[in-house]
Amino acid sequence: MSKFQPIEFYKNKTHSYELLPLRFEALDDQSYVVTNMAGEYLTLPRDKLSKLVKHQLTSSDPDYINLRARHFLVDDKTSIAKDLLAIKLRTKYSNLSEFTGLHIFVVSLRCEHSCPYCQVSRASDDKVAFDMSKEVADKSLDLALKAPAQNIKIEFQGGEPLLNFPLIKYIVERAESLRGTKNIGYVIATNLALINDQVLEFCKQHKIQISTSLDGPKDLHNHNRPRKGSNSYEKAIEGIASTRRYLGKYSVSALMTTTKASLGRVKEIIDEYVEREFGGIFLRPLSPYGFALKTKTYAAYDAEKWHEFFVEGLEYIIELNRRGKEFREFYAATILSKMLTSTEPGYVDLMSPAGIGIGAVVYNYDGKVFASDESRMLAEMGENKFQIGHVLKDTYEQIFLSDALLDPIEESFAYSVPMCTDCAFESYCGADPVFHYGIYKDFVGRKPDSEFCNRNMKIFKYLIKRMEEDSFVKQLFTDWAQPNA
Amino acid sequence: MELQVFFDKAIYSAEAIKKAAYRFIDKFSAVISENGTSYSCFIKFPDKSTDAQAARLVDEFKKEVLDQDLRESIKRETEGVRNLILAHTFSKAGLIKDE
Amino acid sequence: MLKLYGRGVVENFTLDRSRLFTLTKNSQIPIGERQDKALIIENGSAPEGFGAYLTFDATKDLGQVNHLELPEEMNYIDEGDIARISPSGRIGIIFRKKSPNNTFLLTERCNHYCLMCSQPPKDHDDSWLMEEAIEALDLIPKDTANIGYTGGEPTLYGDQFIELITKTKKALPNTAIDVLTNGRTFKDSSFAKRYADVNHHDCLLGIPIYSDDPARHDYVVQANGAFDETMQGILNLKRFNQKVEIRVVIHKQTIDRLVQTCEFIARNLIFVDHVALMGLEMMGFTRANLDKLWIDPYEYKDTLSRALGILNSYGIRTSIYNHQLCVVNQDIKSNYVKSISDWKNEYVEECDSCVKRSECGGFFSSSKKYRYSDHIRAFKE
Repeated sequence: MSKFQPIEFYKNKTHSYELLPLRFEALDDQSYVVTNMAGEYLTLPRDKLSKLVKHQLTSSDPDYINLRARHFLVDDKTSIAKDLLAIKLRTKYSNLSEFTGLHIFVVSLRCEHSCPYCQVSRASDDKVAFDMSKEVADKSLDLALKAPAQNIKIEFQGGEPLLNFPLIKYIVERAESLRGTKNIGYVIATNLALINDQVLEFCKQHKIQISTSLDGPKDLHNHNRPRKGSNSYEKAIEGIASTRRYLGKYSVSALMTTTKASLGRVKEIIDEYVEREFGGIFLRPLSPYGFALKTKTYAAYDAEKWHEFFVEGLEYIIELNRRGKEFREFYAATILSKMLTSTEPGYVDLMSPAGIGIGAVVYNYDGKVFASDESRMLAEMGENKFQIGHVLKDTYEQIFLSDALLDPIEESFAYSVPMCTDCAFESYCGADPVFHYGIYKDFVGRKPDSEFCNRNMKIFKYLIKRMEEDSFVKQLFTDWAQPNA
Repeated sequence: MELQVFFDKAIYSAEAIKKAAYRFIDKFSAVISENGTSYSCFIKFPDKSTDAQAARLVDEFKKEVLDQDLRESIKRETEGVRNLILAHTFSKAGLIKDE
Repeated sequence: MLKLYGRGVVENFTLDRSRLFTLTKNSQIPIGERQDKALIIENGSAPEGFGAYLTFDATKDLGQVNHLELPEEMNYIDEGDIARISPSGRIGIIFRKKSPNNTFLLTERCNHYCLMCSQPPKDHDDSWLMEEAIEALDLIPKDTANIGYTGGEPTLYGDQFIELITKTKKALPNTAIDVLTNGRTFKDSSFAKRYADVNHHDCLLGIPIYSDDPARHDYVVQANGAFDETMQGILNLKRFNQKVEIRVVIHKQTIDRLVQTCEFIARNLIFVDHVALMGLEMMGFTRANLDKLWIDPYEYKDTLSRALGILNSYGIRTSIYNHQLCVVNQDIKSNYVKSISDWKNEYVEECDSCVKRSECGGFFSSSKKYRYSDHIRAFKE
């Protein structure tokens, strides 16, 4: 009597299906990861993948159902996938239209630290030579306010920017009077050695955030960051405490740099961050720029060693979370955001088209404009490839439509680069023309040789494997992936 | 050390072999040439390579050629729909037709 | 369970057709306002002029026309309730002022034929239900927080449905509306546009997505092509900034892909306003298809936690409906809602000694009667 039809009645009537754009990469000997246009992934055994592409998969196969639901194929049952892919892509690209949100002002190149890996600083008292002038500051701010983005962030860097605190005050006050309807957030990137009540009072008044450096436990931090008195760590810890007292617990964030001395000590480094009550850590490899290259600190470890360090750290953080301690790793979180959501985190190194100029722009103390923080580091080594203009000589249009900016963006656009164009992880990755230029003297580099490519491929695969094998990790990573989380 | 690998022209495209060889550019150099019914691939390994390493790499290379072959099929089939979806991504109207 | 429909003993009936009355216990209201009110008699006095008189005892002669003597189990009726009374003495309580969920069934017609439908579709002209709802709009108190419209499929009325929303907005400008619809009609973007143009400040369309697998969704609703149409409907509605809730009923046919379905919602429908994950109600077709549908909620509690975890991570507002506290994990607590309408919910013997009974939604009376979890147990202190 059944008025109800069995599920077979509702399945697709023919065995034919149409593939939607997809890319794949081997995850290990057995399994492959496939990604769709919106960056959603599935893992499949090699033979299933081959069957899929050869149109031999049938709708009774559970993988077929998954592939259809995740928009890897359409058949006579459903065609909504194309609409949904377009919507997800549009969501992703809509972030790009904001254009240049981060404006970095290098207010002084002077520093009272003398870190061997530092890319840019000068231990000098010559204010005239190494401090930004008011004239340069005025013109830089005018350019920053010309950017179409509604929400912009002004970050003061150095050297040690607090050595030129009067100029920071001057720029913030001028920005406040000129900002119109724009929202401006301010950050001072400082080693905190010079922080004092006067600075903090000003920060409080203008809701300025503090970004500092913390490389790990005391001995490691002080080893990495030499300064007269060997008290960099003590200064940082005191500074963090007094900043929090003034500005609140979440007003200060910290960055670490991984040196050779850090290898093998990732747990201690993380423990230091946990102890200081930071919500997470950004495990950062050394950039191949500036003094890091000159002093051979960069060559201290390769992609392999870095991966070991990163994985050990991430596993430790996962364990902390499993034990109930909420703590995250921000580099993984940025990638996960691209893997699991349709948002674009806008992290300069992981953007394609490249984030240079678009994600961030640097106004150097001497008026030179660079396409990214890394670009000016390269320039300090004498490589001016990424200088895109000068604030005293060029207009907004001249700077942001300059060949120096547009050529590398165009040439490195991962969709058209050998290997990247076929890579399953292209939508998670970035073009990073500055990195590749710095090392290989071209914007693209040969990817099999590229440290950047090797390092990131390993991380992508690792993150996916971990999510697939452990539902706790999947849930944890899903939490990390959320924007503004 | 040098090795030669052959691929049947009826089955593999030169493009797939070239792309696969590119992926191994950090491990060996390859010279691809056409040879009657097959493509031949002269592979030269760095001097210190062992036989075992070379054999393993050749195996991986062959697998990679197969993968590249799949990638070609996918690209051939999906190029049109990819452009369609991208066009709709960047169009204001969206994909949903007014009915 | 409240008895909402009944038949009374009629005395001196002069009604010529079914009519809606607002119920009142106040015998002193001005004569001019009495005609469309039915007076609930508590103290015996029956002043003239009311449209009808309702009693619960064997009072024989009130000396008024349209006297209806009701069964004792209906004595919950109260001031401000709305009832339909027919010439033969049938009475239906269509609106209860004290109830937070007053729902109007607009039609029994439907273009779905869901395996677990609690209101099996009938293909006949029941447009009087729509007329009654529209008529009731004038009687419903203006301070009513929320009313519901359900079916069948209410949007089968086409533009008449949009008129209903327009009239509701006009008659009850401060009242929120919940509509249960399968959303397919909104695949027509001009219909979605006309609906959006009503510009109601708080009208939520509750739309089912039973699986991320289109074949499975279509099977559950027994309609080919339903999945794509519903999805298009939702996309159109959100394009016009309308409020949409996704409703997922959990049973044996949907549980296996519940986690994937929630991932699908998070990736593709992140912009929806609310998601409801609901337990099965033992009404209508569910009983006929029980062997195809029944799975003990206790068996899927971990899956439910995982599915909810995904939606929570993505920041999608989610509620768990129709579950008992003792068959779910503690981690779903902040999404747990005591959802079962007061006239439907009950408790079983095991609940008597339970300390969490007051926090628990309990059971549909249908569940209590036909099938509920084997793992119901009392929480002790």
